[in-house]
Amino acid sequence: MFPIKKEENIVPKMWKNLKHYLEKERLMSLSQFLAMTVTFLLLGIFIEIIAVSQTMLKYLEDQAQITVFFKDEFGEDKILSFKSNLESDPRVLEVNYISKEQALEIFKEINKDQPVLLESISASILPASLEIKTRKISDLEPLTNELQGKEGVEEVRFYKDVVERFRSTSNTVYIVGFILVVVFFVISYSIIISSLRNLINSRGPELEIMKLVGASDSYVKNPFIYQGMFFSVVSAVVASIIMLLVGFGELKSGVFSEGLSFGFLPHIFISPLIFSLILAFILILSGFLLGYFGSNAAVKKYLKY
Amino acid sequence: MPQIEFRNVTKEYIPGIKVLDDVSFSIESGEFVFIIGPSGAGKSTIIKLLLREENPESGEIFFEGRNIAEITPNEMPDYRRKIGVVFQDYKLLDSKTVYDNVAISLEVVNSDEEDIKNIVPNVLSLVGLLDHASYKPEELSGGEKQRTAIARALAHEPDVLIADEATGMIDPDSSDEIVEILEKINSLGTTVIMATHDQRIVDKLTKRVIKIHKGKLVSDKKGGKYRA
Repeated sequence: MFPIKKEENIVPKMWKNLKHYLEKERLMSLSQFLAMTVTFLLLGIFIEIIAVSQTMLKYLEDQAQITVFFKDEFGEDKILSFKSNLESDPRVLEVNYISKEQALEIFKEINKDQPVLLESISASILPASLEIKTRKISDLEPLTNELQGKEGVEEVRFYKDVVERFRSTSNTVYIVGFILVVVFFVISYSIIISSLRNLINSRGPELEIMKLVGASDSYVKNPFIYQGMFFSVVSAVVASIIMLLVGFGELKSGVFSEGLSFGFLPHIFISPLIFSLILAFILILSGFLLGYFGSNAAVKKYLKY
Repeated sequence: MPQIEFRNVTKEYIPGIKVLDDVSFSIESGEFVFIIGPSGAGKSTIIKLLLREENPESGEIFFEGRNIAEITPNEMPDYRRKIGVVFQDYKLLDSKTVYDNVAISLEVVNSDEEDIKNIVPNVLSLVGLLDHASYKPEELSGGEKQRTAIARALAHEPDVLIADEATGMIDPDSSDEIVEILEKINSLGTTVIMATHDQRIVDKLTKRVIKIHKGKLVSDKKGGKYRA
C-alpha cells in the first residue's frame, strides 16, 4: 500500500477549500459575513416595515369615517331616511345612526373621570349623527363635500389628515428603505466579486495546471461558486433567524392579534410567525441568488485560466 | 490517417507579423519527433495551436482525423487529456508533494481514489521517483522536478506527450535521464513530440527532426541532425 494519506477522502473538497479560506482570510471572511448579514437584515427589516405599516394603514383606514352631525330640528325619521339614501350609494360601505341618547352614553364613557362635566350635560344638547364608512378611503373626501350643506346637516367631520400623513410617512420609509436595500445589495455583490477575485488570483498557477491536465470548466469554477454562495446563504440564514425571533416576539406580545395585512391582499391576515417564516424563505432565496449570480460574475470576469 | 496533421497553418499574434507561415506536416501515431529551431522560431506556437490555446489565422489542424477547430468547449477537457504536456518551468505546485502533484491530474477528472492509488505509484515508478513521492518540489533537483511533471502528464495515459523545452533548465546528465524516459514512454506506444534547441540531444537520438525558422518549416527529415 502506498504510504501517503489522501485528505480528500475524509473531507469533501469544497469544505476543505472553504476551511482553508476561512483560516487564511479570517478578517476578510468576518467582514464578508457581517456586511452580507447586514444586507439581508436590512432587506428583512424593510419587508417587515412594509408589512407593519400596511397593517397600521389598514387599521387607520378601517377607522376612517365621516361623521355627519344633524341640527336638533332635523328629526330622527328624517335622519333615518337620510341614512337609507346613503346606504344605497355604491361608495358607502356602512352607515351607523348615533342617536342623542347614544351620543350621551359615548360622551359619558369618554369623560367618566370628570363628574362635574357630566352633570352639566344632557342628551338634548348633544347632536344626533351618522357615522359613514366608505369602501375606498379615497371616496371619503368627495362624499364629505357632497354632504356639507345638505338639508338638516349641522357639521361634517372627516379626519383625513391622520390617514394621509401616515400614508405619506410610509411612502417615505418605503423609498428610503428600498434605496438602503439596493445600496447594501450592491455592496454585498461587490464584496463577493472582490473576495473571489483575490482568491482566483492567489490560486492562478494551480488553476492553470488544472486546465493543462484536462480539468473541466465546472471542476475549476464550481468551488468558487460554492464559496460565494456559502457566504451569501449563511449570512441570509443568520438574518432569517433574527427575523424569525422578531416574528416570535410579535406573536408573544400580541401586538398584531388579528395578524399582519397587506393592501394588495385584501381581507387576508397573516400570523406574525407565518409571515416571518415567509420572510426567512425570501431572505434565504435572496442569499442563494445573490451568491450564485455574484460568484458567477466573478468567475466569468476573473477566471482567465 | 496521421495522428496529427497541420495543413497550411498560419498564425499571427500581431496583424501582419507571421509567427507561423503556411506550415504543413503530419505525425503518425507512435512517432518520436523533434521540433527544433532558435528561440522565437515558432516551436511553442505549434504546441499552443495543437493544445488549442491559440487558433490559427488560416489553415487547419487535425488530431486523430478531427479538425480541432470543431472541438466544443465541453469536449475540450477530454481532448486535452489525450495530450500530456511538460514545460521548461515544470509548472509544479510548490505546496503539494510529488504524489499530490501527479494525483491532481486524476483528481480533476474525478477518478476513483482506488484508481489514483494504483496509477500514481505506477507513473512515479516509470520516471524513477517512487521513493520521492512525499517530497515537496523544493526538495527536488531540476531533473527530478521535470520527471515529476512527466509523471503528471502520463497519469492520463495520453496518446501524445509533448515536451516543450523540457531540458532547458536542467544539467546535461539530467537532460539525458529525461530523454531516456521519453524514449521509454515512446517505446510503450505513446507519440512523443519534443520542442527543443538542444543540439546535443537531437544529434544523439537521430529521430525525425522538423526544423522551424522564422515561422517557416525549413526541413523535415527522419534520422535527422540539428544542423543537417
